[in-house]
Amino acid sequence: MSSVIIARRSVSSDRASVGILPAIVAALVVGVFVYIRVIPLDSIEARSLEVPLILNAVWEHIQLVLVSTLLTITIGVPLGVALTRKGARRIGGLILVGANAGQAIPSIGVLVLLAILFGVGFWMAVIALLVYALLPVLRNTMVGIQQVDRAVIDAGRGMGMSTRQILSTIELPLSIPVMLAGIRVALILNVGVATLAAFTNAGGLGSIISAGIALNRMPVLLVGSVLTIALALSIDWLAGIAERLLRPRGI
Amino acid sequence: MSDQPGCGPDTMIFLDRVSKRYPDQPHDAVASLSMEIKRGEFVVLVGPSGCGKTTTLRMMNRLVEPSDGRIWIDGKDVTHVDVDHLRRGIGYVIQQIGLLPHLTIAENVSLVPKLLGTNKVKRLRRADELLDMVGLEPSTFAARYPRQLSGGQQQRVGVARALAADPPIMLMDEPFGAVDPIAREKLQMEFLSLQRQIRKTIVLVTHDIDEALLLGDRIAIFGEGSRLAQFDTPLKILTNPADDFVRDFVGAGAAVRRLSLLTVGDVIDRSTPLQDYLQSTVDIHPEESVHRALEQVLAAHAQGIAVTLPGADVRFIALQDLLMAAAQPTVATS
Amino acid sequence: MLLTYLADNALRILFLAQQHAELVLISVGISTVLGIGLALLSESAPRLRQALLSVSGTFLTIPSFALFALMIPILGLGVAPTIVALAIYGIFPILRNTVTGLEGVDAAVIDAAKGVGMGGGRRMLTVVLPLAWPIILNGIRTATIMLVATAAIGAVVRGPGLGELIFRGLARIGGANALNEALSGVIGVVLVALVLDLLFILIAKMTTLRGLHV
Ligand SMILES: Nc1ncnc2c1ncn2[C@@H]1O[C@H](COP(=O)(O)OP(=O)(O)O)[C@@H](O)[C@H]1O
Ligand SMILES: [Mg+2]
Repeated sequence: MSSVIIARRSVSSDRASVGILPAIVAALVVGVFVYIRVIPLDSIEARSLEVPLILNAVWEHIQLVLVSTLLTITIGVPLGVALTRKGARRIGGLILVGANAGQAIPSIGVLVLLAILFGVGFWMAVIALLVYALLPVLRNTMVGIQQVDRAVIDAGRGMGMSTRQILSTIELPLSIPVMLAGIRVALILNVGVATLAAFTNAGGLGSIISAGIALNRMPVLLVGSVLTIALALSIDWLAGIAERLLRPRGI
Repeated sequence: MSDQPGCGPDTMIFLDRVSKRYPDQPHDAVASLSMEIKRGEFVVLVGPSGCGKTTTLRMMNRLVEPSDGRIWIDGKDVTHVDVDHLRRGIGYVIQQIGLLPHLTIAENVSLVPKLLGTNKVKRLRRADELLDMVGLEPSTFAARYPRQLSGGQQQRVGVARALAADPPIMLMDEPFGAVDPIAREKLQMEFLSLQRQIRKTIVLVTHDIDEALLLGDRIAIFGEGSRLAQFDTPLKILTNPADDFVRDFVGAGAAVRRLSLLTVGDVIDRSTPLQDYLQSTVDIHPEESVHRALEQVLAAHAQGIAVTLPGADVRFIALQDLLMAAAQPTVATS
Repeated sequence: MLLTYLADNALRILFLAQQHAELVLISVGISTVLGIGLALLSESAPRLRQALLSVSGTFLTIPSFALFALMIPILGLGVAPTIVALAIYGIFPILRNTVTGLEGVDAAVIDAAKGVGMGGGRRMLTVVLPLAWPIILNGIRTATIMLVATAAIGAVVRGPGLGELIFRGLARIGGANALNEALSGVIGVVLVALVLDLLFILIAKMTTLRGLHV
């Protein structure tokens, strides 16, 4: 999945979607709240759709995504850098091959296996998200560093930069765009997998959707799904803006 | 530390039987090469592709470690010098230029001074100075990013960057190779006049014999496997090629090329007193090249040139004699 | 433990795996028709094409659980919502690769085809599509692998396939066979992906024009 999302980047970062997306998100959110005010709700629906309950689910979802993405970056970037260092490159290649094959593992599978083996709850879900989102960050960090123009590194060495200076002034800044793309993918994956975290008692918007399914209450299901989509779109939109702002000038 | 053989006080770079074999390669890329390069000399390494020029150059700043032999720079064995420190004292220019795309031109140019701990104000002042030196208006270019410059302009920045810390030595690997021919010629001429002011010790690699003849005080012609076929002045190489390899490499038109290297003053012994040729001559300065002199004679349909020597002695050289300077070696002072 | 479980339930697991593969292949079939169709339709409308790529790409950011659930009010539970949701996800990689493939065909080749008097439709069928096919096929393959994993979530709308095992394992946490069920579901999904991947390598070998083999 992550390799497909990476490919998406090049087409969806055009200007049009930047303006349209917030409008769509706003329409979705406003629509949902108008909808639950307007239609008649039975007592079960009313209880499942209390505003504080919904806001709490949104907040849980955001926490899951933020915590796991931050951890993914904290682990993935340094690890990716380390695996491009002399001596670790061969292992790095192997890890990439393994990790790519690991993409065939369904996210719900990772989540459920971890739940069965180690228990349920917020932190277990965070670990599942982390495991699943690590690949794009790791891979893009490595690819980002490997694609740095050899001539620039050669020039840096030629002018007497130490290995560390080359890393900090050449390799890292020049791999930022590719790294950011990987982080954005991790973010998207995490929003999606966090929806499934409801199944392992970690809350989030998925719990509203699954309540809707379990109680067979379409309004509940609709509110849960639409809000999930709105959250996913806005997080991706923000990530797109951050990506543009953080990219070094001149590249 | 001056126990190295063949190495006097005015020796800047000395290669003593240096060899390099890359891992898993059947042959030496450079085999037992010895060379002495003097302070302030402009030496060009030229030869066919793959003969080890780049490897030789990169051993001088230890981007490539020799497998055997020793390299002395400014009287010090380079293997005993801290490698980063060594490189900061040697300018390095490559064909691909390798400017840091995320840094401005001014920042690129002040990289080495920054590594050496020069403060920011000084660095930026120096950057302006350097951009001026390589013919780029600082107010226009300092704040730009590399991709906003043409290839030729980028290479000027590459040269400025290498000069930033005022290193006594410059190593240049096909620096003008990626530039279009017209811009290349301009860069070559400008670089030559820059070198007249700054007097660095320069080692430049090229595969273009014309560039070598134009730029080098001395030219090292490499054969296969870095065999040093001839290491001599351009004029000697044209007039006395050491062997058939050199003759072939210098190629057709060598005779005419020689004319660019000879000055009219060099061939003054072919002159006769200026008698009744006066109507039919072109006035030429003795420092002018014979090649240019010929062009002017032909353009004016004249019979020869009038040369005013120091002491107001005016001499005449006939067209025929000018031409013959190409064919017959002249004992020229170079 | 796992092995005895697998041995005892081999038939059922194989049945689910077969269902899983069929589900994915049907969905990918629909995505392929849509992806290639949209690419051809937008042949002379670059802005429409860009918009289609943008929209189908944005679908990928939608969490699969939400999309599957959204199908319930429209299509109910079962096979239909699963297939529709999967087909939506599959469009982007195929559309994108078709566009890339079509745009990559050498203009000189198209000129030559015009030169011998081929009309637009015929040119597309006999020249352009065959040349772009390896890239298109690769897009279909990418979509397939992605959908094999995504289809596991189809179980939440009672979709068929191996997801059922994973969710059964989840429902029986603490029970004796929870791990075995979930694990065999996960391994099954990975194996289905592997088999389909090999299938695509085979198809690519058989359907790529001889001259295009490197
Ligand atoms: N890093 C390397 N590893 C292995 N062989 C190399 C390497 N660099 C150069 N060579 C080989 O060494 C020889 C000399 O190369 P080089 O010094 O680049 O020649 P030149 O600059 O004259 O074209 C060539 O045969 C080349 O293939
Ligand atoms: Mg070379």
